[in-house]
Amino acid sequence: MIIISPYAKALLSKKQNPKNYPYWKELISQITEPIIQVGIEGEEQLVPDFRKNLPISELRGLLQECRTWISCDSFFQHLGWDENKPGIVLWSVSDPLIFGHPENTNLLKDRSKIAKNQFLWWEFVEHKSDLFVEPKEILVHLNKE
Amino acid sequence: MPSVLCSVATRGRYHTTLPLVLSAIMNQTRKVDKLIIYDDNDEPKDVRQEYLYKHFFQMLDIKGVAWEWLFAQKKGQHHIHQMANMRGFDWVWRVDDDAIPESNVLENLLKYAKDDVGAVGGSVLTPPQNEKNNATGTIDRIDSEPNIQWGQIDGVKEVEHLHCTFLYRSGVHDYNLGLSRVAHREETLFTFGLHQKGYKILVVPNAVTWHLKNPEGGIRSETKQEMFEHDEQIFRNVLRFRADTIVVLNCGLGDHIVFSHVLPSIRNPVVFSCYPEIVPGGSIAEAQHLFGDIYQYNIYARMDGWKWKDSLESAFRKMYT
Repeated sequence: MIIISPYAKALLSKKQNPKNYPYWKELISQITEPIIQVGIEGEEQLVPDFRKNLPISELRGLLQECRTWISCDSFFQHLGWDENKPGIVLWSVSDPLIFGHPENTNLLKDRSKIAKNQFLWWEFVEHKSDLFVEPKEILVHLNKE
Repeated sequence: MPSVLCSVATRGRYHTTLPLVLSAIMNQTRKVDKLIIYDDNDEPKDVRQEYLYKHFFQMLDIKGVAWEWLFAQKKGQHHIHQMANMRGFDWVWRVDDDAIPESNVLENLLKYAKDDVGAVGGSVLTPPQNEKNNATGTIDRIDSEPNIQWGQIDGVKEVEHLHCTFLYRSGVHDYNLGLSRVAHREETLFTFGLHQKGYKILVVPNAVTWHLKNPEGGIRSETKQEMFEHDEQIFRNVLRFRADTIVVLNCGLGDHIVFSHVLPSIRNPVVFSCYPEIVPGGSIAEAQHLFGDIYQYNIYARMDGWKWKDSLESAFRKMYT
């Protein structure tokens, strides 16, 4: 079983968070293992097993049970690291050298495109799908995990 | 040779004591590498075409001293000092706009600026005062003794806080930006913070600055009692928790998880947290009550100020250990 944590925290402006991976459906369609989606109420359901609003302790338990996990740059990548359970993190505008953990597989398509200021609100950064890696690249790493 | 920035915060003293101060800085036996005047006047002027200042700036150019005149944000001198603190020099020599250093002050302060030293101050005398006092310069006696710098200093002495004007190691400790515009106790909090980080704070002889205490103008020319009370409360709470490291996690869930790996390295942590299930502690509202504005604890603002390139975990370590 693998866990996906598809979404970063929603922005107050209701705009799409620039850290949200845009190709989840395409990626999921190519994964043959069981998938559990974790997230919160209001997020789009991508797989049949969507577990919402789980307490941290239950998320930790799931992490221990899964083969690996895939997440955008959200709290979940830190939780996986904290549980000594490496996973795949999909980056775009935030800097994995600052916010990531080398124990994870950090997939950043183009380092020159990360936001110039990493410490402002993401409200002011536009979401751009072409900043993310393609699903096929993730699958290569997923099969190695 | 270490680089030295001289910072002067000024308000309401364009044509009284400020020119005297700038002249004294220019005529130091050890030249500063840069002089920045932070203009915090309510109605700031461009003084470059004024006779006095025009020649003063030309003299600085002739002497090869870089200078800048910056218009400050009117948020108080602690914000100004923090800007100077982050300019990337090895040391910052802060001089008040009515404090006139004798010509050897910087040279003599720098003699004591060793690797284990955080700040060095000399005497700060207001005429006719010229006597030695028996103060200890310890924080515990701050309410019961005069400031040690208010008297002649006849030997090097380790203290716990400094006042008014001094030389300090830059970029290792931040000014408390939670204070009001009056910034009451700002230099005491700053130098005591350096002391708490393990740096020596020294008072040294042969470094006399004459503090004219010009009754007109001044960076602290605020009279609102509530500002002083607000700052005094923060100061007292800092003293109350001085054996502890105050941690305020006004940040996200993931940040708390990362921070939890730093927590074991922190000396006597007293934590205020948004996610007590990750990092147990008091509430953010409680921290605000105790220490005023808690923006100073915003790890993202701090990383921005530091132009941070390293990991979030390292940033927390820099902030709290």
